[in-house]
Amino acid sequence: MNLCQADTRPAWCPGCGNYAILKAFDRAVAESGLDGRKLVVVSGIGQAAKLPHYVARPANVFNGLHGRALPAATGIKLANHELTVVVASGDGDMYGEGGNHLLHAVRRNIGVKAFVHDNQVYGLTEGQASPTSDPGFVTKVQTHGVVSLPMNPLAIAIVEEASFVARSFSGDGEHLVEMMKLALAADGFALLDILQPCVTFNRTNTFKWYKDRVRLVPAGHDPRDRDAALRLAFAWGERIPIGVYWRSERPSFESLCDALKDRPLAAPLG
Amino acid sequence: MDINIRIAGEAGQGVQSVGGLLVGALAAQGLHVLATQSYMSRIRGGLNWFDVRVGDSELHGPREKADLLVALTDAALRVLGGELTSHGLAIFDGEQAGGAAAIPFTAVAKELAQSAVMANTVAAGAVYRALGYDLEFLSGHLRKLFAKKGDEIVEKNLRCAARGAELAEGLAGKLEAPRAGRSPRSVVSGASAIGLGAATAGVKLVAAYPMTPGTGVLTDLAARADRYGIVVEQAEDEIAAINMVCGAVYAGAPALATTSGGGFALMVEGLSLAGMMELPAVVVIAQRPGPATGLPTRTAQQDLRFAVHAGHGEFARAIYAPGTHAQCFELTRRALETAHRFQTPALILTDQYLQDVQKNIEPLDESPRPIDRCLTAGGADSQRYAVTDSGVSPRAVPGGDAFVVCDSDEHTPDGHITEDIDAHLAQTEKRLRKLRAMTAEALPPALYGPADAQTLLICWGSTYGPCREAVDRLNDFGGSYEMLHFPQVWPINAPAVSALLGWRQRVIVVEGNQTAQFAGILKEHGVIGPVETCLRYDGLPFTAEYIMERVRR
Ligand SMILES: Cc1ncc(C[n+]2csc(CCOP(=O)(O)OP(=O)(O)O)c2C)c(N)n1
Ligand code: SF4
Ligand SMILES: [Mg+2]
Repeated sequence: MNLCQADTRPAWCPGCGNYAILKAFDRAVAESGLDGRKLVVVSGIGQAAKLPHYVARPANVFNGLHGRALPAATGIKLANHELTVVVASGDGDMYGEGGNHLLHAVRRNIGVKAFVHDNQVYGLTEGQASPTSDPGFVTKVQTHGVVSLPMNPLAIAIVEEASFVARSFSGDGEHLVEMMKLALAADGFALLDILQPCVTFNRTNTFKWYKDRVRLVPAGHDPRDRDAALRLAFAWGERIPIGVYWRSERPSFESLCDALKDRPLAAPLG
Repeated sequence: MDINIRIAGEAGQGVQSVGGLLVGALAAQGLHVLATQSYMSRIRGGLNWFDVRVGDSELHGPREKADLLVALTDAALRVLGGELTSHGLAIFDGEQAGGAAAIPFTAVAKELAQSAVMANTVAAGAVYRALGYDLEFLSGHLRKLFAKKGDEIVEKNLRCAARGAELAEGLAGKLEAPRAGRSPRSVVSGASAIGLGAATAGVKLVAAYPMTPGTGVLTDLAARADRYGIVVEQAEDEIAAINMVCGAVYAGAPALATTSGGGFALMVEGLSLAGMMELPAVVVIAQRPGPATGLPTRTAQQDLRFAVHAGHGEFARAIYAPGTHAQCFELTRRALETAHRFQTPALILTDQYLQDVQKNIEPLDESPRPIDRCLTAGGADSQRYAVTDSGVSPRAVPGGDAFVVCDSDEHTPDGHITEDIDAHLAQTEKRLRKLRAMTAEALPPALYGPADAQTLLICWGSTYGPCREAVDRLNDFGGSYEMLHFPQVWPINAPAVSALLGWRQRVIVVEGNQTAQFAGILKEHGVIGPVETCLRYDGLPFTAEYIMERVRR
């Protein structure tokens, strides 16, 4: 049976925030002057994780298992640290199934850039709560509303001293491109949490909900001030800051591996 | 002619040190040694023992009983004193010990060297005299071993060894010991032979989460990392380990994970990923008795079926099961080669016994001889999953001219996600087509013993040595026994195996599990019909005695 005709690309709902993220991704890659041959876009499974298949300019792709993008990306970066390794992931993929790997990717400070499409819901599996869903969020599984507190991945990444921690919003294309470019240029691990409306399964955190709340990080914020960065990470509610929360000068994991000093592990052909 | 020396005591008491000392010295002296460890999952207390079997010709497996017991604690004497051979002797660390010879190793060490640690050397000296060996061989070994620590330490050790020998004077001549001749000088464990195989084959990334008995390969490779340029990363869990390996091999670096059954259980989804993405991921599974945490420090062959069937969906895999130290080395290389040639996972099944068993063998070739990664340069329009007759598509890695697109979802030949039924059929058949060549090239099992013997013992993996010794001894007693050992347990080349079997009066499958897993696999392949089995699943390794007792009629 030939279903190619029925296979629409991308497989996202009209109006989904993922389109804007894809557009920003294409621009950020182009404006950063990255050669697609030296770029690997890694993902897990989910709606967000389909992004690597839709990028405008060809690149290398590793679309692995749900939740396991980070260890795969770590293996790729260690095998060839001359490659730019970017992870495109959802909140369930990165903070739920892959939560343990996030803790340890930050601890290592491996030079991988993680872009998390955070729609506060499981899109692909049709609308269950995610680790970032707000309390009270009602779904077919959480029928009385979510009772657990949301995870705070940005605070975790700050406390563990990732190289770069930022938040952006799919509804602000210019800002998003800027954040992606800064993340791509960072040395060690970069976490960019992207607020993304899911028009189908999240009727609470809508485009308008985010639009009304996002505010640029105050001009005077010092991203090397941990307390200030944590205050931004805990600001959630009436105002949600977008911008660079935190930067550290920690060397990347790969720069500390003796075996990588002279050349990448994966010897080139010939 | 051989003799079995058993050093027994609590964890942390230096059982391994005495054993290690004897192994080094006896091997250097031209004797054949085979050393096994039996330990409990704890860092202090309990009852651990270290067997050093010494022979005048090559030894292939451990023995059940000891001829000479060196008991460092009361418990060791009580529990193991009854496990001696009929002519066996016991030495006890103390002043008095019923029937055993009492030699106060610790007190002597404290007196001569102001250090209880050197009780080990006193004990080694006593063993040397009890066996009637020239103490100079032990002294020479001690000089070499402690040279770096300075003259004073060397002197103290020599004095301790000499006093130990003196105190054992009364035991001299009571045991017949094998004569030293020429023996290979290189003492290795199974784990380190696997590590060396991996390092010389060009493994560049090792990702693992510690789990006994798999950890031996991890530490061995960590020790070799600087010399061979390997990144060794202790992953946050086994799921991370296998996914790191998948990422690394995707990017072109040969990589390996090492674990035991429980850790492998966590890797199973990742194994399936390697099958789907067609990645040459290699995992060493060092078996121990399960289920669940089971007996962490004991041995078993219980994870064969698990390894064969691990992973959802259908994909090709090769599973190797080394039986000797040389096979540990060679088959690790072979597993990496096969994985790369066929772009599919390969597994190496070992167990606690094989990981830990030390033996002096002809030195393994330590020079780097990287395997062929079977890569092509590819171009901008190359397709990672081009459909081919062999099922193997040209593989490029990122960083060159090709765009390498791999997906765990079903994919089109260019690697992009698809839900098209035709595309799925083409890919899923392509993936399994690899099994044709993999089966044809599977290592054939090896026969040992007189041709066409009446009874055939079938075994796989680490059972090689004990089974081989059993065959020799059974035939010495007038039996008609032959053995067939499988160094590769999957896939099975059924016609080739059947040809080797021939007609037998009896076929007995010897393996370390309760459900005769390998016998079942051979039956499924139509290779054997109803057979007898000789199973061991108490957590202890097979020995020739164990097998002989059960197969003899
Ligand atoms: C091991 C495993 N468990 C569960 C799933 C099913 N699954 C696929 S995506 C997903 C969650 C997706 O949520 P998220 O990562 O937030 O992505 P989104 O679709 O919202 O972009 C789940 C549970 C799976 N593919 N693999
Ligand atoms: S389900 Fe939600 S996240 Fe997925 S494509 Fe539709 S709108 Fe986007
Ligand atoms: Mg989501």
